[in-house]
Amino acid sequence: MEIAAPPSLFDLLELPVFRTAALEIALLAIAGGLLGAWIVLRRLAFFAHAAGTATFPGLVAAEAAGVSPRLAALVVGLGFAGGVERAGARSRPTDAATALALVAALGIGIVLASDVFESGAVVDRLLFGTAIGLGAADVAFSAVAAALAAAGTVSLGRAWTATGFDPGASTALGLPTRQADRVLLVLVALAAVASLPAVGALLVAALFVTPAATARLFARSVSGLLAGSVAVAAALGAAGLYASFWLDLPPGPAVAVLGGAAYALCAVGTAMRPRTALRAQEAA
Amino acid sequence: MTAAPVVLASGAALGYGGAPVLQDLDFAVPAGTSVGVLGPNGGGKTTLFAGLVGALAPEAGELEVQGRPAYVAQTDRTRLDFPVSALDVALMGSLARGRWWLPASRADRRAASLSLERVGLGAESGTRFGELSGGQRQRVLIARALVQDARVLLLDEPLAGVDPASAEGIEGLFSALRDEGRTLLVSTHDVQSARAFDLVLCLNRRQVAFGTPAEALGRDVLEATYGSEIVMLDDGDGPVRAVTVQHHEH
Repeated sequence: MEIAAPPSLFDLLELPVFRTAALEIALLAIAGGLLGAWIVLRRLAFFAHAAGTATFPGLVAAEAAGVSPRLAALVVGLGFAGGVERAGARSRPTDAATALALVAALGIGIVLASDVFESGAVVDRLLFGTAIGLGAADVAFSAVAAALAAAGTVSLGRAWTATGFDPGASTALGLPTRQADRVLLVLVALAAVASLPAVGALLVAALFVTPAATARLFARSVSGLLAGSVAVAAALGAAGLYASFWLDLPPGPAVAVLGGAAYALCAVGTAMRPRTALRAQEAA
Repeated sequence: MTAAPVVLASGAALGYGGAPVLQDLDFAVPAGTSVGVLGPNGGGKTTLFAGLVGALAPEAGELEVQGRPAYVAQTDRTRLDFPVSALDVALMGSLARGRWWLPASRADRRAASLSLERVGLGAESGTRFGELSGGQRQRVLIARALVQDARVLLLDEPLAGVDPASAEGIEGLFSALRDEGRTLLVSTHDVQSARAFDLVLCLNRRQVAFGTPAEALGRDVLEATYGSEIVMLDDGDGPVRAVTVQHHEH
């Protein structure tokens, strides 16, 4: 494969389609970065990934029936969040149950897709996202998701932190723990649905888990984690989008690969840091 | 002890939907007293605390606490990997004043700083909770209860895994809190240290005994409370000396 020369950023910004995609990714970086911080703190990474993937059969069915795919994804995503919440009310939802739902959703989606679509291109778009087919409605939905993520973080952040830190004490503190957690699950499902057009059903975690997990390596406080997570999500999103236009890739995989590499570098870096500090101390 | 009780149980039974796991609760705790809650694993200590914080409603009878009690968990039940400082944790106590949706006010921050100084950790306010020692973490959770300004504190095995020097400091803190009129319910498996409390409550799926240690901690009560988990150390006169042999499940 021959690699094209990297395009100039100024040339790209001339393209309306790039500007729309950049705006979409910026909004998703806010939603994914903020909610990602809570996802990582509250150990909901697998839930976020599964909520994205669970929408896949809904997207396929909607395409076939000519219904709005966003509406179908919203129904499936919120239904999934509701199922997890109900399971969690009785006992902690097990990873096995989530994995089962995830695999079933993917399988049903593929079976449906092979019946519905002539070419695999649509399936690729649903699973991995697209940078060039984004419209005003996608951007508007992402703006709503970002605004709700910010509002949730400002008003419920302290409750989410206190509950996650010490679940036993949260009732004694008079916090509406159940309701606050329900809102978090709904916001994650909503934002996952918002990110489907750009990053696809399979790679939602690229914007929701990887940036926050990377920021977590350095964060000393919850507000530092939130800021770092949004910054990493924005940087990864921008780099991924650029790579996607340059190399003609869907943005989802580009962001995912860059994010994985960034996390690995930072994890190795922080793992080595205490030892170098110790050595410096010994030398002094 | 003529003051109105701050914790009152009358014929209370607690459970998780099936048969009650703790019943026959009948006791009244006056303000400014310390109560040792004794019992074997699975005896109902944690269930009692869940009932007192309001996480469980009594299935029968009544269980009342004046005001909102503070719950101090064993620190290994908290998330030690959270990016929160000692001050952040103490500040969580201010959530109990209602208006938890607003950011912490300057007064809240001052209260949290003062509480940390009160428990002797003023210098550690910026330290990550997970990097503190077990005894220091316990004191931070007590500081959180002070910020909450709870009149009743429920402490779950507060001295488990704490070194003797820190334990002594924490016990000193308990007496100071009690002297300012707060009521402490402290679950413990240590029969000997339970004699230092004003009152003891012995649980084994039901209330076995409630009273002063001298009245309540007799051989019969200890045997009914702990069953085969207790070993009597002597047969002489005077207070019974005994130790419990139990496995800790986490």
